[in-house]
Amino acid sequence: MSITRRLLGKAALGLAGAALLMQGTALAADKPAPFDKPGVKIALVRYLSTGDFFQAYLSGVEAQAKALGVDLRVLDSRQDAALQADMVDQAIALGVQGIIIQHGLTESMKDAAQRAVDAGIKVVAFDVNVENPKIPQIEQSDKDLAKLALEQAVKDNGESWKAGYVYVAGIAPLDRRNETWVDVKKKYSGINEVAQFGTLDNPIANSVANQARSVLQAHPDIKVMFAPYDEFAKGVKIAVDEAGLNKGIKIYSADISTSDIAAMREPDSAWAATAATNPAVVGQVSVRALAQLLAGEDPGHNVIVPPTLITQKELIDKDIKNMEDLSAKLPQFAHADVAMPAWMPNPNAK
Amino acid sequence: MTARDYAIRYGFIVLLVGLIAYFAVAADGFVSPQSAVFIFQSVAITGVLALGVTATLVVGGFDLSIGSVATSAMMAASYAMVVLEQNAIVAVIACLVIGVIVGLINGWLIVYMRVPDLLATLGMMFLLLGLQRIPTEGRSIATGMTMPDGSVANGKFSEAFLALGRHRIDFFIPNLIPVSVVVLVVLAVLIWFFLEYTRFGRMMYAVGSNERAAELAGAPVKAYKIWAYVISGVFASIGGILLAARLGRGDIASGNNLLLDAVAAALIGYAVLGAAKPNAFGTAVGAVFVGVLLQGLTMMNAPYYTQDFVKGAVLVVALVFTFALSGRGKR
Repeated sequence: MSITRRLLGKAALGLAGAALLMQGTALAADKPAPFDKPGVKIALVRYLSTGDFFQAYLSGVEAQAKALGVDLRVLDSRQDAALQADMVDQAIALGVQGIIIQHGLTESMKDAAQRAVDAGIKVVAFDVNVENPKIPQIEQSDKDLAKLALEQAVKDNGESWKAGYVYVAGIAPLDRRNETWVDVKKKYSGINEVAQFGTLDNPIANSVANQARSVLQAHPDIKVMFAPYDEFAKGVKIAVDEAGLNKGIKIYSADISTSDIAAMREPDSAWAATAATNPAVVGQVSVRALAQLLAGEDPGHNVIVPPTLITQKELIDKDIKNMEDLSAKLPQFAHADVAMPAWMPNPNAK
Repeated sequence: MTARDYAIRYGFIVLLVGLIAYFAVAADGFVSPQSAVFIFQSVAITGVLALGVTATLVVGGFDLSIGSVATSAMMAASYAMVVLEQNAIVAVIACLVIGVIVGLINGWLIVYMRVPDLLATLGMMFLLLGLQRIPTEGRSIATGMTMPDGSVANGKFSEAFLALGRHRIDFFIPNLIPVSVVVLVVLAVLIWFFLEYTRFGRMMYAVGSNERAAELAGAPVKAYKIWAYVISGVFASIGGILLAARLGRGDIASGNNLLLDAVAAALIGYAVLGAAKPNAFGTAVGAVFVGVLLQGLTMMNAPYYTQDFVKGAVLVVALVFTFALSGRGKR
């Protein structure tokens, strides 16, 4: 009897295990409705599109849409707020099931987003607050971004240094990064901001380089430059190199691109570290959150994509030369485990 | 000369000297050879563009496309070296060719197609903004970038090319004067001599002040006008080369701020020495004036919007000098 019972028990366990396994594979292969059939249409309604970041964001959206097998329409308003709102209506008329709103102005997009929700369309918003409880907000955490970079600065340079700070007020992500800088200055009384400058005059790196040169002339004793936007950091690096101070100053920034990597890898580069969220991953997460909504799941109201710290040492040690290397050699940069239910196809899985 | 004449003639120069004296007292480290050189360096690119636009102003035209010519040249230079893996000479020649071609097309549109200058060059500006992004599908160009077809661009900015933006020439103090400043000074002297002392330059002024009279006098007005746009295009592309050499990569940028700063410098130049007309010396002084202002204000931690404000105020004052006080702006 006891033997039989044990045998039975084993058999039962085995069966259960097999069933679980089968269920597991079944879940991964069979996507929930509406993704079990082809023909799901979603739209990406963009406000900003020019530049490397937005290009990479789009490639992420495209990759995840392809992995899910959905039909993606891209509507690009090119910084025309009124047109962007019209484009939401256009997308509704196109009969899409889901809309991603990428950037824009709260004032112009709030009503348009509500119209889409009223039409029974699922909506997610990236980096624009549409003030709607039914619309999940996709965010790259700018505060965490600045925090990572500044913690590294404190780690490298101690708690007491003279700092130059590059900042332009009124730009939402820069304002959020600024909050962290203010907090950090409060926390470490030894950090002394002797100069603040910044401009968004195009080409930004060139204009910032001009300013940074003047600042270095006035304050040659600056030890750390905090430039929480990579165009700023590039400009500061040019100025530091031109002034021949590259061995005495360290630059900490946010964001990353292939040319940033090259600048950080230069011999004796002053650019010590940057914190970045992979824009392609943000694009993927945007689509995934939308897909979860469409499948009747709740991705949560704030979907936050965590940033990664990238140091000069890592880039050199791991021989990372461009964004592809970065994704390949820093897995935390290539993929974020956000809005990732078991059935969701991973576009990075080869 | 009356006091009023003196004011018109030297007022702006006095203002510049006064400004320098003020910053010398107010901003630590403003007075030094490095600081002076740096002012020139910061205005080298816009200064070169401003000298080019001066040539079109002289013939009574205008060139809105210089900013985008500069950024297109920057992209072309980067593309030639990083993607096509060419050397510095090829890159420089490619830029200059772009400048010449754009100048010829601008001139042709304005002279033969009778498109008003502002509109023709506005169209060219947009065209170039789009064109410069087509080869890379809107990506900035840097070594190691991934091309639209998935391959990786392995070319590098050649050292010789980068030297145009970064090398410094010994001048009493080692490593003092950047090449870009030398380029600015040489081009300024060249265009100044050309406009003031050659027959060609004098004729350009004649075309600008009274096109019909110049034509009746037998001057090939059309050729002069087209030449002016070619000069402007070439100067803008040289500005683009300097920009690429300084940044070391091909940056997606509109160049609109370059355009505005260059035009501001050229217009401020009207007021210098009471010329009340476009002139190369004035343009150079105007560019330096803006450079001094920005350097001083930045050293005093003034934010960018006050700098824009001051820049605008200076331009307005300069225009008042030109048109009201001298009374010979438009007779």
